[in-house]
Amino acid sequence: MSQASEPIVSMRQITKRFGGVTALNDVDLDARAGEVLAIVGDNGAGKSTLIKILTGVFQPTSGTIELDGEALAMNSHADAIERGIDAVYQTLALADHLDPAANLFLGSELTKSVLGIRFLDNRKMRSEAERVLADRLGVHLKSMDAETSSLSGGQRQAVAIARAVYNRNLRILVMDEPTAALGPQETARTLKLIEVLREQGLAIILISHSLDDVFAVSDRIQVMRRGRRVGTVVTKETNRQEVLGMIVGAGEMAQEAM
Amino acid sequence: MSVTEAPDLKSRLEPYFAFVGPLVMILMILLFMGVMEPARYFRISNLNIILLDAALYMPMAMAMTFVITQRGIDLSIGSVAALTAILMAFLVKGYGFPAWLGVLSAIAIGALLGLVNGLVITKFRVPDLIGTLAMDLVYRGFALVLAKGLVLARFPELITGIGRGQIPGFVPIPVVIGIATFIAGAIVLRNTYFGRYTIAIGSNPEAAEMTGIAVDRHRVYAYVLMGAAAGLAGVMLTGKLNAIQATSAPYFNLHVIAAVVVGGTSLFGGRASMIGSFAGVLLLSMMINALVTLRIEFFWQSVASGVVIISSVALYTWLQKKDRDGSGGLITALRTPDNARLLRLAGGLGAALILFLILGFLFAGQTVPSG
Repeated sequence: MSQASEPIVSMRQITKRFGGVTALNDVDLDARAGEVLAIVGDNGAGKSTLIKILTGVFQPTSGTIELDGEALAMNSHADAIERGIDAVYQTLALADHLDPAANLFLGSELTKSVLGIRFLDNRKMRSEAERVLADRLGVHLKSMDAETSSLSGGQRQAVAIARAVYNRNLRILVMDEPTAALGPQETARTLKLIEVLREQGLAIILISHSLDDVFAVSDRIQVMRRGRRVGTVVTKETNRQEVLGMIVGAGEMAQEAM
Repeated sequence: MSVTEAPDLKSRLEPYFAFVGPLVMILMILLFMGVMEPARYFRISNLNIILLDAALYMPMAMAMTFVITQRGIDLSIGSVAALTAILMAFLVKGYGFPAWLGVLSAIAIGALLGLVNGLVITKFRVPDLIGTLAMDLVYRGFALVLAKGLVLARFPELITGIGRGQIPGFVPIPVVIGIATFIAGAIVLRNTYFGRYTIAIGSNPEAAEMTGIAVDRHRVYAYVLMGAAAGLAGVMLTGKLNAIQATSAPYFNLHVIAAVVVGGTSLFGGRASMIGSFAGVLLLSMMINALVTLRIEFFWQSVASGVVIISSVALYTWLQKKDRDGSGGLITALRTPDNARLLRLAGGLGAALILFLILGFLFAGQTVPSG
């Protein structure tokens, strides 16, 4: 199904240099609606740099990004969010002392005007947070009053994801190692969240070291190695051996041999 | 069933620990004084003195709650209060400013000095502890340069009213001011961007930055608020004593920090308790008044404030510690190799000191009176 649809975002021939170091060399990436694209690769393969360019944190040295076929130039992460591209980081970027609703709206609080002064609308934020968590992610927190630090790893993840999906424009969600710090049960729940979001038509880019997770949820796998794209494979048509081979470089040799 | 509900109850009570802590200590002081000196401690006039003393610290404790919640600290507030009060005295007495304008100028000057603190910390990247300690020297120096050794006294009625006025049949005016600032502080903390971001910044500065919060700007705001509150305290102190001099208010900073910390606001950031700070201010004033009532020398006040800071921070840190299993009490703790070494170090230092004292007494000559 994914092959048929046009990509929402296409990155073409992206190169990024930090001083003399070439972090990315001629890398392409396509993300499609309703599809999970996994990016795998060893440490230093350029995964993080690639998604930081996609989310506007870094600007490419050369190469183009197209959104819906139009050239896209971003100067900051805020630009990316405005165009519907957001990321959930491994650290989740949550303020543990605030309640889930406050975290969900952190940096974009809802307000109401009292006597001409803008005050935070805590009640509205709470009901909206509850609605987003339940409707979009199917998550019900036991208490919306408790500090975020008292939530489980998966629930914290849900709050961080809800922050991204509250943006109605959101079309591309990048998830950086979402399961790295979670136990098996919480991992299963997070993978479920990813599937739920895929069904809602988001394009999801999943960065993971865990091939288990990648094979469990992804539609396509893009393998990175030493700043280059080794290849992109359809998950159903490949296996662990092939992907592992591509990650460590055996695939390259095999391809050359063919 | 009850097993699963027990931790729930604890987590439900946890937010109130901040308030319960000082409350328990207040009750202990009340009980203690009820036994020791009930007649003199529980007089209406004495309660008025306690409230009057506490009121002076209330605006500062409110502002310091924001500063500390952001993982900051302000050690310059005593000098800010003294300098603003002296500048106000010059404006009112030297240049004939109307009293109300003098008061407003004092608060504005305090805010400006706070702004300087905030800029030193956020723009010059001087750590808050060193930055405000150095600015404390600067502000105190200016106050001494301006006022020399003079005591500026006799102020208009408005200023003495702010400092020690009494609403007939009710509490003193400064108490009303203090409580009003606390109510305003609680609303700001709960219902404004500044309050929300204050907690976020203290809780997780990186996350705050990543979600697009202007971290440095909001830190500057906290120091401006702190400066304005210290300026107001300067006015209140001037009015209370009807006099001001450059060396006034030497212990404001640690007293206010003690009040905020004992109230459950975490020095490690993110955890704020306005009502706790309020209770903390009351507690410290009651404690100091108790020391006075028991005719204990004034200088013990400083010892008491220090002990309160250390013990409350240690207590809250211990309460925060999730895993208290397996520590097995004091004796096992002393047996760990590291602690055994510390114990030997302490023993060695003690033995050396005892040796020096013995030698000193053995070789003691004629004493020289210092006076």
